[in-house]
Amino acid sequence: MIPKSRVHRAQLALLLLPGLLVFALFTVYPILRLFWMSLCDMSFSSMLSQPFAGLSNYREIFQDQTFWIVFVNSMAYTLITVPGQMVLGLLLAVLLSGIRRFSVTFRVLNYMPVVTSWVIASLVFRYIFNTEGLLNYFLWKVLGVTSSNIRWLDSRWGGLSVAMILGVWKGIGWNMVIFLAALQQVSKDLYEAAEIDGCGGWGKFLHVTLPGIRGTILFVLIELTIGGFNVFTSIKMITGGRPAHQTDTLLTWMYYKAFSTGKFGYAAALSFVMALTLALLAIVQFRMMRSRDA
Amino acid sequence: MRTYRKPVAAFLACLMLMLCSCAFAESEPVTINFWHHYSAQSAENETLMNVLIPAFEAENPGIRVNAVSHEWAELHDKVLVSANSNALPDVARCDIAWLPEFQKMGILVALDEEMPDFAQVSGQLLDSAMSTAVIGGHYYALALNTNSKIVFYNTAMLEAAGVAVPETMDEWCEALRKLSGENANGQQIWGWNEPALAGWNICPFIWSFGGSLTNAEQTVASGYINSPATVRAVETFAALVQEGCITGFNAGDIPMTDGFGTGRYAMMLEGPWKSAELAGAYPDVAYGTAPIPAGEGGSVSVLGGEDIAMFSTAHKEAAWKFMQFMTSEFAETEMAKCGQIPVNKAALESDTVKGADYAPFIAAIETAKARPTVAAWSEMDNDLTVAMTAIVTGEKTAQEALDELAAQWDILLK
Repeated sequence: MIPKSRVHRAQLALLLLPGLLVFALFTVYPILRLFWMSLCDMSFSSMLSQPFAGLSNYREIFQDQTFWIVFVNSMAYTLITVPGQMVLGLLLAVLLSGIRRFSVTFRVLNYMPVVTSWVIASLVFRYIFNTEGLLNYFLWKVLGVTSSNIRWLDSRWGGLSVAMILGVWKGIGWNMVIFLAALQQVSKDLYEAAEIDGCGGWGKFLHVTLPGIRGTILFVLIELTIGGFNVFTSIKMITGGRPAHQTDTLLTWMYYKAFSTGKFGYAAALSFVMALTLALLAIVQFRMMRSRDA
Repeated sequence: MRTYRKPVAAFLACLMLMLCSCAFAESEPVTINFWHHYSAQSAENETLMNVLIPAFEAENPGIRVNAVSHEWAELHDKVLVSANSNALPDVARCDIAWLPEFQKMGILVALDEEMPDFAQVSGQLLDSAMSTAVIGGHYYALALNTNSKIVFYNTAMLEAAGVAVPETMDEWCEALRKLSGENANGQQIWGWNEPALAGWNICPFIWSFGGSLTNAEQTVASGYINSPATVRAVETFAALVQEGCITGFNAGDIPMTDGFGTGRYAMMLEGPWKSAELAGAYPDVAYGTAPIPAGEGGSVSVLGGEDIAMFSTAHKEAAWKFMQFMTSEFAETEMAKCGQIPVNKAALESDTVKGADYAPFIAAIETAKARPTVAAWSEMDNDLTVAMTAIVTGEKTAQEALDELAAQWDILLK
């Protein structure tokens, strides 16, 4: 007689097996293969032989001046767009949770940028910020506050700023929806208790709302940080990395190295550098939130 | 005797069966996969699918062609990825800039080594176009179609500024200065549009000024890309950018066709496809064409175009027949009707070609040069763009940036 627990475990294993197999085949294997690629010399001359090259791809990355430019660009994009989206998304959520009429209409309107195609939104932003675009027309010809066209997209920080504005604009709606859901979970009793203790609106937000949605804040923070490092379409469409890769980010640079120069080994190593950076940032974010808990 | 009859009959039956099956196997058609980047909706693709492939299959009953259309950049990437998974096509229409990369990967067939009638077939094609298929002394493709760039000028803008079509580089500089400034509506106008700072854009100026990129063997860049003539070419170009006479390569600039069509860019160096674009988007704009102005190096434009190459996993005999067909007078003349400039010498003499809109480009092709046919060209091209950006923004002097570039290229060319 086989013990019941063992049968149960076998059943569990059988049920898990298909999922585990799919996970192993489509997630674990590609990651391991990619890691192996990052240790190989995979360029045009060695695409088929793929000789082992140790850490030379990683060495090349850290000695590459362009890598540091695109790394700083990705960091800056994340550092600006993540708090931007979160603050504005939370603000909207708080405002919307306080109104009774037209609440759904406002939610839909604010969520619309999220469902807009990245390509279309990027092209619209490009037309707005072009040297002869809509913004310059308004500033110069309508308002008269400038005396010539400003070259918004032609410099490193100008081009990146436009991509950042787009990133924030497009992300506010998603943050709003997540925070709205989180705000529903904060107990009304706590607000009443705070009111009895003499807390004003700001005090309630600081001492009740924020601690009440801390878990959601951490989730959003990590999700958006990953999203920030994954910025690709807007950069490709708005600046194309111009001038001379000055506005490229980690992902657009990785794509360029793999598919334009055939350096798949370098690109694979770059993806691990990026993953490691994201893991480190996630650990820091977890620690910071935990220390506040304590 | 009778006892042997059955086994002999069985043996003969087996033999017949084997012979039949062999005969059947031989008559089974070979399918060759042909990847190309003619747009799926284009006239070229129509001609390929409805005229050329049916004609080829009728001529060669044992061969079928499976043609697959890709986007230009997608085709390059797909070949790279397919090389790793051993899923390459038999034949592909490749941009001439890709061949050195594919050759270095070891996935192309050296046609002059493997095809006994190669000399006879390639002899029917233009030498300048065939030069794009030579890598390390061997031929890895047949030239399929070619193109180059010539000057497009806005007739009204030149007349308004009282400027004649420039024939020399000195006249070109003067013309650009006169054509740039403000128009009657107070809008800024530029004498020249250059949409990027890569080799495709800058090489015509370097070569026409008498400069060069590398030595003839394409093994050394020092002394060539930083030679006095090259530095002079780049300095002249950068000075015109800084004076506000050239633009187009910045992310926020007006796109080339729009700027030219609306009278904001007076001149540009472009290929035969631009005529169709202008006819579609700005049918009323009056423009003329001229060769690139001549400098100390003559009037030298850049050679573009496509070659047709065979991959190492191909059905070689069938693939070679298809490649010969695609470069034949018949196929090239048919494609010429859709705007493809042929490289087949007999097709070039046809009335179709002589009466075509792109006739002015054929003269430019005769003196045009190909960019270096080396596998590292993508990286070299990127380095050139970075160096040119530093020069035109005034971050570095031309001599400084090109000296650094020469050192980088020397390493890549090793």
